[in-house]
Amino acid sequence: MKKTIFLILCYSSILIAQSVDQQKEVNLFSPPNIKKFADYLFCSHDYLRAALEYQRYLSTNHNDTVSYKIAIAYSKIGNYSKAAKLFASIDHQSHLFPDAQLEYYKALFQDEDYFGLRNDFINADLSNQFVLSPRAKKLFYFSYLFTNDKLPSENKFLSHFEGTDFQRVKDFYSWKEAPPYKSSLAAGILSAIIPGLGKFYVNEYSDGVFAFLATAALGYLSYTDFKAGHNFRGWIFGGLAAGFYAGNIYGSIAAAQIYNVKIQFDFVNSLNVFLNAKNFFIPEINFCR
Amino acid sequence: MKLFLCLFIFSSTIIFAQTDWQKWGKANYSYAVKDNFHKRDLSFDAKNPERFVLKSLLDSYWFFISDVDGDNCAFSPTCSNFFLQSVSKTNLVQGTLMFFDRFTRDMDFIAKFDFYPRVPDGHFYDPISLYTLNKNEIKYIPPSVIVNNE
Amino acid sequence: MKWYVIFFILVIVFSTSNMFAQDALKKQFAFAKNLYASENYYDAITELKRLLFFDTYSQYTFEIYELMGKSYKMGGKFSDAILNFTDAELNAKTIQQIYQAKIEIIRANILRRTTDRALQLLDELANDKRFTSKANEINYWRGWALIFADKWDEAAKSFAKIDSCKQLQNLAEKVHKDKYSEVFSNLISHFIPGAGQIYTGNYFSGFLSLGWNVLWGYVTINSFAANRIFDGLVELNLLWLRFYNGNIQNAQNFAKEKNLIITNKALNYLQFDFYGQKP
Repeated sequence: MKKTIFLILCYSSILIAQSVDQQKEVNLFSPPNIKKFADYLFCSHDYLRAALEYQRYLSTNHNDTVSYKIAIAYSKIGNYSKAAKLFASIDHQSHLFPDAQLEYYKALFQDEDYFGLRNDFINADLSNQFVLSPRAKKLFYFSYLFTNDKLPSENKFLSHFEGTDFQRVKDFYSWKEAPPYKSSLAAGILSAIIPGLGKFYVNEYSDGVFAFLATAALGYLSYTDFKAGHNFRGWIFGGLAAGFYAGNIYGSIAAAQIYNVKIQFDFVNSLNVFLNAKNFFIPEINFCR
Repeated sequence: MKLFLCLFIFSSTIIFAQTDWQKWGKANYSYAVKDNFHKRDLSFDAKNPERFVLKSLLDSYWFFISDVDGDNCAFSPTCSNFFLQSVSKTNLVQGTLMFFDRFTRDMDFIAKFDFYPRVPDGHFYDPISLYTLNKNEIKYIPPSVIVNNE
Repeated sequence: MKWYVIFFILVIVFSTSNMFAQDALKKQFAFAKNLYASENYYDAITELKRLLFFDTYSQYTFEIYELMGKSYKMGGKFSDAILNFTDAELNAKTIQQIYQAKIEIIRANILRRTTDRALQLLDELANDKRFTSKANEINYWRGWALIFADKWDEAAKSFAKIDSCKQLQNLAEKVHKDKYSEVFSNLISHFIPGAGQIYTGNYFSGFLSLGWNVLWGYVTINSFAANRIFDGLVELNLLWLRFYNGNIQNAQNFAKEKNLIITNKALNYLQFDFYGQKP
């Protein structure tokens, strides 16, 4: 009998311990529960809520991983300047510092703060506080493709890329070194020689054809009217032909400018596609396995 | 079937989680349908004599002709508006050249789809900022985009 | 101590601990409902998600999804609302809850103006034997869906099937009666330029259109009569047909514009001055 009572007491002590634990569990706003909930939100891609919950958790606790995840959340949301600040605040001694450093550069990159990125990189390199990883160097060099600053030498630039990336980056470098821009002056001169030719030069063929037809048809009408002695109509059609002629020269100059902006836009687009496919040369930590 | 539905809803939840990436509040939803009908600005403008004459002529053109002869311009802003904006932004000579170029492009019925983005009412978006010859003002928008700010 | 006394103590300890958990979830739900009531919808959803996460026995799942759906709806995020109402339907424990969730999905579809989907769901509900007692309510929401689909005559017929819906029926009938016929406006302008504009009350535009058409018609016919075929063709294409087509476009657009003013007036009344149930 005593043995039975002893066993029951043991069992009850376990249950009481569990129940005390459960009472702790029912506080939905206890720090461990806040963190659990924030982790769930983070893995459900509900990043703003996750960041706010993590911040609530950090008000009573210190945790580098949580700080890092807040920064990741803001980066995912697209608030890159805030993400950069948060990544920069990760302690140098933290085990996540190398990743935070890379993410920091990525956030600056995504915020299109290429000059900030390069200044920061050079300062970090000079300060010798920590070693910059080869991945960070890739981002540093790649940023030159987005700005109009003088490019580093080809050998120096390409020495940081290898494997399948090498050829792609080499192509990007070549494009940036000598962009296939069209000359506004040439477009204007061509249209002055033959109406519409400048538009052909910037690949706007049908615009070129219509410019030629409008100028030629009105010019012809003006000529025939003058010839037939209808001077008033001759001047009207002549004036319109001159307007279309001059307007086409002007339009060809503008079209060359637009063409250049367009190919620059396409180039930046292809850089971004490449970078996103490579995740900015950064290995992503999966917190949601 | 239920599993498939659950999976679908789960994946859609992830997509729609983006809704909450910014804090939002109560919406001002209106039952009424937004009026997208084109409204003319027929006001007189007497900032300077050149502008007064031009605006008065355009007002008359809009009132007596353009509003009666149908929707003939494929672009937004319309050719007459483009002319007015061009002259206001630059000067009479440059504005006139811009207008002649625009008129030529309006005649081209072949290539519009490949070059211009659209506004919601279907017109091709072609703002004057692309043609003032100021490179910094040129903002390229791909033709696949629907532009909402016009 | 007798064994049953120990057992009794254990039962009390266990049940109180469970009670604490129940109490916390209940409080959390009340907290979320308060946030919803104070129009703090974003935070209400956060707290509902917290409740969902800790409600391991799924006691509140239906209510959580339903309230989340309502919160998104109030934020004008109808697609998210529909997703949550669908989740609510999947987690419904009773037939009444299934019906409730389906109606919420329909109402969100009406507001999202995906009225075809709303009407399809209403047809499904009407054909479902479980909901035969809800015929009036189904017709009511069908009426609303048809209003948002701009089919006021059909809406009036749907409201007519319900005894207590005279007000909405009359409104829908009046709007249908007041609306201009776009087809008629277009058609009469084909025969008499400007007639469609005059029909829709735009007299100046109508007479101006008529004037331009008479002028360019006269000029064109004159050219053809004088055997100036080229001039006649140019005048016909660039002047007469331009104003003739413009006249037809305007006739239809004016009818559309006038109809929008009429329907928007009714919709504004329904939104701000009508006291019955709304989507």
